[in-house]
Amino acid sequence: MIAARSFSTFAIVFAVAFAILYLLSVENNWALFTYHPALEEFGLLVQKPKDGPAMYWYGWLATSAFGALAIAGVAACVPVGSANRFWSGFAWAVPLATIFAFVYILRGYFTK
Amino acid sequence: MIIALLILHGLLAVTLLGAITHQAISVWLPARQGVETFVGRMRSVSAASYVNAVIVLYLLTATLGAIIYPNYRLNVRIVLEQMQLYWQNGSFELKEHFVAVGLGMLPAYWSLWRQPLDNNHARTRAVVTALLALIVWWSFLVGHIVNNVRGFES
Repeated sequence: MIAARSFSTFAIVFAVAFAILYLLSVENNWALFTYHPALEEFGLLVQKPKDGPAMYWYGWLATSAFGALAIAGVAACVPVGSANRFWSGFAWAVPLATIFAFVYILRGYFTK
Repeated sequence: MIIALLILHGLLAVTLLGAITHQAISVWLPARQGVETFVGRMRSVSAASYVNAVIVLYLLTATLGAIIYPNYRLNVRIVLEQMQLYWQNGSFELKEHFVAVGLGMLPAYWSLWRQPLDNNHARTRAVVTALLALIVWWSFLVGHIVNNVRGFES
């Protein structure tokens, strides 16, 4: 039962942390690695384009996943009584807010 | 090879679309007992039975999309920019971000649908499912439009 509650807390915090970290990663370009598709090469952290475009999306995902894993892991260790204070609705409210944030950030594509 | 992967990506996306749509409909518009119409049967499916399929299909579709993404970046996006197809380009940008946000929601989605279902989380479960359905629908439609963009615009 405690394990189930811990996983529930882990999952909700992971959804929240992942969404926020992903938004921050995109906005600040915190890519854990860069992919150069023309050269089929990976490089550590953010690198400038070489011989074609650079792709950061995979790196943003990795940054968000590792960060969210760490944060959710810590949250899952919080005593059950405290963990129950998490509102499960954060699991959709924060991702939904992130989606709206991306629509706002990319609005320029739709107003040209 | 890329075309084969793109077709497989599309087929997986169709399957995922069917699964998540059935689940979302059965959660938000559950059937009244005794309804034997086509729509009634669609509304009366067992929502919980779709969870594992949705997660596996989401992961497979996203992974395949990630594998073919460099080809899009090199051969399609540049053309979209040259043709000044801004909203098509922006729609795809949104798709990549929406899919990423959806990936982060999968553990919560699985947890919320774990048996026995917790009635205290019924609303959260329904909204998370609807949000994933929205992400899948957006991704499917945008992928389809971008795939056919020259046909639309030429």
